[in-house]
Amino acid sequence: MKYAAKRILLLLITMILVSFLAFLAFEIVAGDPAQTMLGTEATPERLEAVRQELGLDRPFIVRYFSWLTGFFSGNLGVSYNYKQPVWQLIAPKVENTLWVCFISFILICIISIPLGIWSYNWTNKIWDFFRTAFNQLCMAVPPFFTGILLSWVFGIVLKFFMPGRFPDLHKDFAGALRHMFFAAVCLSIPRIAMTIRMMRSTVIGEMEKAYVRTAISRGNDRKGVLVGHVLKNSLVPVVTFLGQTMAEIIGGSIVVEQVFGIPGLGRFLVASISNRDYPVVQAIVVILAFWVVIAGTVADLVNQAIDPRLRLGGSK
Amino acid sequence: MLEIRDLHVKFHTREREAVAGISLTIRDGEILGLVGESGSGKTVTAMSIAGLLPRKQCRLSGEILLGGKDLLHADRSELRKIHGNEIGVVFQEPMSSMDPLMKVGLQVGETLRIHTDNSPEERKKLVLAALDDVELPDPEAIYNKYPHELSGGMQQRAMIAAAIASRPKLLLLDEPTTALDVTVQAQILELLKKLNRTHGISMMFISHNLNVVRKLCKRVAIMQRGELVETGDTEKIFTDPQHPYTQRLISAIPTRTRKEPV
Repeated sequence: MKYAAKRILLLLITMILVSFLAFLAFEIVAGDPAQTMLGTEATPERLEAVRQELGLDRPFIVRYFSWLTGFFSGNLGVSYNYKQPVWQLIAPKVENTLWVCFISFILICIISIPLGIWSYNWTNKIWDFFRTAFNQLCMAVPPFFTGILLSWVFGIVLKFFMPGRFPDLHKDFAGALRHMFFAAVCLSIPRIAMTIRMMRSTVIGEMEKAYVRTAISRGNDRKGVLVGHVLKNSLVPVVTFLGQTMAEIIGGSIVVEQVFGIPGLGRFLVASISNRDYPVVQAIVVILAFWVVIAGTVADLVNQAIDPRLRLGGSK
Repeated sequence: MLEIRDLHVKFHTREREAVAGISLTIRDGEILGLVGESGSGKTVTAMSIAGLLPRKQCRLSGEILLGGKDLLHADRSELRKIHGNEIGVVFQEPMSSMDPLMKVGLQVGETLRIHTDNSPEERKKLVLAALDDVELPDPEAIYNKYPHELSGGMQQRAMIAAAIASRPKLLLLDEPTTALDVTVQAQILELLKKLNRTHGISMMFISHNLNVVRKLCKRVAIMQRGELVETGDTEKIFTDPQHPYTQRLISAIPTRTRKEPV
């Protein structure tokens, strides 16, 4: 419990650091939001007025702290471009992206862990060759390509969803979910292949260990050894890997959302960067960082639940 | 109760046979010592009795009879019924031989879970009794601990408890005290003697330490390079060794009056 509290504190510090760096990045990168908003024809007086209106005339540190206090009181600021509160703008997009990532993550877990264990049985057989080849193929094919393929097969031919026309999540939940499911499949295929390969090599390593011999000597059959003993012992590195995966699929979702026409965070982030819409970019960057850090924290806590030996470090 | 007839084991990767024609019997209720240096084939002998040799990687011949059944050529499903139920095994390194992520109580109860229809409550009672049998203090607390929370001696006691929980006829002990320090070693030997006396479990005790074997076993078999060089009453072999190898082994034991030969 103490350890969990420590992790959460660390999480907060990381996020503050990330937000500071994101703020700093825009300070260094050339470009003036006022200029972007008003165009090149704007008079210097007008530019100055807009800068004042946006608060850009204040020193960097002051602006950062006012943003930070706003963030903790739930106020992410107002978009330069849309003149709307940032949270109102990004909330539906956060929702879409999180759904896609969530579905994709669930797919990765429920497919790759059993298959990883099961594929242990394929060692030293002709199957092994096909398995490896298929695995490599899945890893090598980029999600945007499978995205196009799936859109064509399931969208245009089989009409499971309408490519390019994403239904509103709140009005047509089932329809939106169907749409997002295929995006999530694209996103998860390479990751599933990687996780299976990793799980399999971990299982092979664990099978060499002495406790497996003990388990056999007690009368366990192959399934008893694999599921009763080896599975749990193989999970720790896999959970760590899944934590990283959870962080990476949100990056991968940018491309896939584009292919499937899902209005998500990625697309909005790219647009806001080119518009120099700092408050929006800042908010999205912090949300992404939050996701990544949370993924790592959750993976650590899950690992501690699995392996009691990892709990020792926390009590110190 | 257990009879080994002309056992040969040869690993495909090796030129020499690991076990080259051994015939040996373990009588009801006795503790037989199997002594030899590293590589003499004593562990391979035990593992072939336990059916734990990788069959694809070696060639086996001969017979191992337990109550009339041939273990050496039994198929996997028959062996599984014998594993843990009729033959219990205790290995050298207690730490690595235990599943690090499974509570001690569940590991001790594993043979019961596999081989009996006992309810979880009955099982727990039997496990606690087994932990008590091996003289672990506070079985209830040990039951819920993980292996890394126990000392080496306690782990080995737990491993012995796991091996005897479903009352096997035969206990194979593969250097169970080698990884432990001397005082713990002596305690474990006393415990094994007690279990042999109270439960009547036959044991095969493998060791390279003659002193340990002398304390524990009535009868001893000496192995060298895969062959049995001498078998017989422990005291007789110690006082009057016949085979030159046995004589060398015994003269190598350091005593109070004679310094260890250099």
